[in-house]
Amino acid sequence: MEKVLLKNIDNPNSADINEYMKAGGYRSLPKALAMQPKEIVEEVKKAGLRGRGGAGFPVAMKWTFASADLKFPKYLLCNADEGEPGTFKDRPLLERNPHLLIEGMAISGYALSAEYGFIYLRGEYPEAKHILNRAIVQAYENGMLGDNIAGKGVKFHLAVHQGAGAYICGEETALIESLEGDKGQPRIKPPFPVNVGVWSKPTVVNNVETLSNIPYIIEAGGEVYAKIGTPDCPGPKLYCVSGHVEKPGVYELPMGTSLCDIIHTHCGGVKGGKNLKAVIPGGISTPVLPPDKIDCAMDFVNMPKHGSMLGSGAVIVMDETVCLVKVCHRALKFFEHESCGKCTPCREGTGWLRSILGRIENGEGTEGDIDLLLAISGNIMGKTFCPLGDGAASVVQNFIKHFRPEFEEHIKRAKCEMRDA
Amino acid sequence: MITITINGKEIKLEKPVTVLEAARSAGIKIPTLCWHEQLEKYGGCRLCLVEVEKMPRLQTACTLMVTDGMVVKTETEGIAEVRRGILEFLLINHPLDCPYCDKAGECELQDLVEKYGPAKGRYKEKKRKVTESLEDPVIVRNMERCIVCTRCVRMCEGVQGASAIDVINRGGHSHVEPFSGGRYDCEYCGNCVSVCPVGAIMSRLHRHSYRPWQVKDEIETVCPYCAVGCTVVAQVRDDVILRVVPKIGSAVNNGMLCSRGRFGYEFVGSKERLTTPLIRIAPKDSELRTPNSELFREATWEEAISLVANKLSDVKAKSGSDAIAGIASARCTNEDNYVFQKFMRATIGTNNIDSAARMGFAGAQAFIENIFGQGSTANIISGLANSDTVLVAGGDPTTVNPILGLQVRACARRGGNILTIGEIKGLKYFSPVKVGPFLYTEEALLEGIVNILRDKKGLSGANPKLEAMIKDINTSLDDVEKKCGVPAEELARFVDILAASATPALLIGKEIVQSSGASYKLLLLSAINYLFNGRIYLLSERSNEQGMLDMGCAPDLLPGYRPVAYTEFRKRYENLWDTEINEKAGLTIFEMMDAASNGSLKALYVMGENPAFNLPNSGAVEAALKNLEFLVVQDIFLNETAQLADVVLPSLSWAEKDGTFTNMERRIQRVRKAVHREGMEDWKIIAEVAKNMGGKLNYSDAESVFHEISGVSPLHRNLTYEDIEDGHAIYPYKGEPLRDVMEEIRMSKGNVACSEGKLYLGIERPLFHSGTLSTKAPALVKIYPRAVARISAETAAALLLDEGDVARITTKTGSLELPVAIDKTADFPTVMLTNNFEGKGAYSLMEYEIEPILKSPCLDGIEIQVEKSVRLDSEVRT
Repeated sequence: MEKVLLKNIDNPNSADINEYMKAGGYRSLPKALAMQPKEIVEEVKKAGLRGRGGAGFPVAMKWTFASADLKFPKYLLCNADEGEPGTFKDRPLLERNPHLLIEGMAISGYALSAEYGFIYLRGEYPEAKHILNRAIVQAYENGMLGDNIAGKGVKFHLAVHQGAGAYICGEETALIESLEGDKGQPRIKPPFPVNVGVWSKPTVVNNVETLSNIPYIIEAGGEVYAKIGTPDCPGPKLYCVSGHVEKPGVYELPMGTSLCDIIHTHCGGVKGGKNLKAVIPGGISTPVLPPDKIDCAMDFVNMPKHGSMLGSGAVIVMDETVCLVKVCHRALKFFEHESCGKCTPCREGTGWLRSILGRIENGEGTEGDIDLLLAISGNIMGKTFCPLGDGAASVVQNFIKHFRPEFEEHIKRAKCEMRDA
Repeated sequence: MITITINGKEIKLEKPVTVLEAARSAGIKIPTLCWHEQLEKYGGCRLCLVEVEKMPRLQTACTLMVTDGMVVKTETEGIAEVRRGILEFLLINHPLDCPYCDKAGECELQDLVEKYGPAKGRYKEKKRKVTESLEDPVIVRNMERCIVCTRCVRMCEGVQGASAIDVINRGGHSHVEPFSGGRYDCEYCGNCVSVCPVGAIMSRLHRHSYRPWQVKDEIETVCPYCAVGCTVVAQVRDDVILRVVPKIGSAVNNGMLCSRGRFGYEFVGSKERLTTPLIRIAPKDSELRTPNSELFREATWEEAISLVANKLSDVKAKSGSDAIAGIASARCTNEDNYVFQKFMRATIGTNNIDSAARMGFAGAQAFIENIFGQGSTANIISGLANSDTVLVAGGDPTTVNPILGLQVRACARRGGNILTIGEIKGLKYFSPVKVGPFLYTEEALLEGIVNILRDKKGLSGANPKLEAMIKDINTSLDDVEKKCGVPAEELARFVDILAASATPALLIGKEIVQSSGASYKLLLLSAINYLFNGRIYLLSERSNEQGMLDMGCAPDLLPGYRPVAYTEFRKRYENLWDTEINEKAGLTIFEMMDAASNGSLKALYVMGENPAFNLPNSGAVEAALKNLEFLVVQDIFLNETAQLADVVLPSLSWAEKDGTFTNMERRIQRVRKAVHREGMEDWKIIAEVAKNMGGKLNYSDAESVFHEISGVSPLHRNLTYEDIEDGHAIYPYKGEPLRDVMEEIRMSKGNVACSEGKLYLGIERPLFHSGTLSTKAPALVKIYPRAVARISAETAAALLLDEGDVARITTKTGSLELPVAIDKTADFPTVMLTNNFEGKGAYSLMEYEIEPILKSPCLDGIEIQVEKSVRLDSEVRT
């Protein structure tokens, strides 16, 4: 497949505007500015582009909602708070291909009649901040941002805002709170950001990868784009694979590539020829899969049928040497730490789950702990303010669902076999 | 019309509301914790989750808006399970110390667990430990009990507008803390205490002293402090006020209180309260600090009252009625004041009746009413929040009348324009548009505003007298810039906003009223109000200042503002009272002091007032009072004036009597007896004295006094206690609105200027104190313990003074030694002193002139010398 997102990635100077332009960059922007904003939205609709942040919401629909709101100004936010454990797919875009994002945002801004955009960048990407800022300066210098983009009289300004390291700020309303200078906590929805977002104005929040698809859609047309991937979820997808594989990394593949193929064909199989034990297909919040369930097409529509989700496309591969109780404990430690504290079940429940898992891992588990874990997860699931709590509950539920014997073993033997081995 | 179904019950709604509100309107209870009717919705506690048909997830009833055809279930087995789960989560880190917690019995968490909670805990891990914070003198924080509902934070930020506290840390470590750390640095409104559903934020005043179910009575009455007239509920047991709480839905304050109202009630039970009548045994010129036992001997009521009656009769016989005067009290009820003025007029036979309202409120109100008609300063406080523009001049509404101040903040929050003349600290964070003229140059500034505004808006001709006064003012923007230092474009923008406003309001404070040229400034402010068609609010510090004036406690006005000078009015009252009324207008409070000094005034009867402290140039006042033949003071404390008295009569406090207060909106509200105490109400003592003098003041109770008032005062015509029961009796009540006889508008310009390099005396009116009453309330004293001299950083640097140093402050009239407090925000050459603390009153340093029109003192332009004292802070503490 011809690369769309990581097109220029092997060029060591790919972040430079000249290199980007040499490779055909910034051609879609003038083309887009010659179109009507509505036509751009129409192309995106034809392309069938879905948000790449994890939820897979149709982009054109979100844009249409924001355009229908008559409040001005409107804002375009790029969610670059890539915090889901296991996820690093946006990083090569931010660090190696920033102009693709900038071009995508400028086009999207025009399509939305938004004159201001912000990139909300996770705090742990300091390098990306420098690269983005440099790229933005270059884009201004070359007339790709500013009051008169490409000489077409269109205005779009862009700035980077760096987060302070909170996972919750990847949730779009918490991101908006944080951007406004408040504590990162999710807001009540509705109203949705498309109507009441930053400073109470209509705001579109899109993921880095999503926005990076826009230039190609304009360049090639929505119909051509829609031929990539599966009919329900067209387009290229960045899969970031980590853990026990021979060749971990970010892979740009057509949406709907099988998880099995990703691991065995593209990544060279399990590291050292060991046996596969478990795969988390889309970042820590998505349900874990046992080895016999990995023959599934990785897209937004298909994965739920196989008992998991595409999420951010962050594949975490674990071989037979891994203690899954420990993984589960570590995951819950993360969720406890990152829970914002706004709602009761997540604030109190994640910590409770973590302590029980810690006890089991340390060989201090008691009979009934597994059922208690399931009961607590059940009390969290579906009752929290935002999906963070659901993610935490789902980790526990699915680890126990697929690997209950390992948990029971820990309790029965009062120790962790893996660790002791 | 929206129709929804909750638990099978069809509910019809006029407008979209939340599911919770819809359910409540139909009497269906859904449990909540983070939701509170005064606060913005939050959706955090998750207790109100309900099932909604066609929605995949459970929904929080408190945030979900109803839509037509919605079907909701609130009481299924599944929902019960969810509630159990949520409550279990809330309890895992809760200390479960109900047997020890003051909240037990009125704790919302306790009640909900009792009703829905799990029977048994499954939590075996370690609980989160947080030490209870006792660092604050008034508010205790126990963050182990906190359920992070953030009601307190939303109250503090969103309603009170203090933004003093917030949730700090994240997740399970979340807890509420003041930005200042352990001790609060806030307005101490305690509204966070009101809304806390658990025992996490509580008042320290009644800590571990009683259980909520031991409250015997809850008496709804009116706050004794300022003229906003907030409804307070006194919770009482065994004739002790255990706690004062607000009431949601009450007329003026709707569930909000300020620090004075909430924490200032303890003076009622103070050990310093007077218990028996006292008769002087020491010579007149004894030192103020002489022990009380050497000044007075205790006496029986009979002895004291007959002594007063005989003395007053003697003076009256010897020197005539006009050799006797009375000072009424803005802290006493309408009934007290009515009986007192009637006593002076009917029994004594003089119009020498006045009050400390002469310090500004009385004159300013009369001045404004003479322009716009009677009642023009009586405007609804809550209406401020709906104004599009509020212009504030001469005082900080958030400290003088805090609950009124909240309405100004609410106005700002709703997008209204707040315009201030000078820096108003309490509105600093509410994006005010400010013009800051140089010290003592407001006159030119106001002239400039009037000039431009008049040119913008034009003169309508509706008020020819006022228009005649302002038509020739032509102070230009440049003149203002030159004289006041306000840049022309700044003032132009300021006036543009004034001119564009549709529903403006004007707030006038004491700094304008008590200044040289006050009448001219009031004229200019009235002109602004006339031009932008606004409503005037005259800030007032005392709870019944308005009512006292309504009752006729003024030397020239009979009850209901009928001038003594007009024969037909006088005749009417003579008929009603069946007595003769002196046709000569009486003395103002300042004239009384002059008359006492020169010996023409022989006897003075002071009811609930403290002229020796609350009038400027208190040294001279003290000398004048010592020069009297006979001084009677009727009060609840042995204040500075009482210490000079020949007879001291102990009266009952606000909490111990029935009656009415009239607030600045002219809303008449019932003061209800909350606790019983041996003694007599002020009106009753007066009536007893009258009886001993052969007068006819016979009333069975406060209501019978009010009955007479409603027959006498045209303002209160036919009003009964029943009419005012719910606090909605607002001027003009049942009576006709009366326009005073319009006199010529007269004014006098100021003559005070600020000289380079000089320091001036200013009066600080702290939020935590009001007169000297608040200094008898221990909690308020703990918050604001003593008098300080507040100076700007610039002044401090110039005088080599540091925070906590002792400064010696000297004026022509005297000197004081006070610890220095540096105010980093101040930029004027002013030293701010309070007039609240015994022996440290700013008024003792103030010589004054009387404003010729308002008859109030001009307290500006008082030069002051400040130097570092050799004494240490510890030496001047007492």
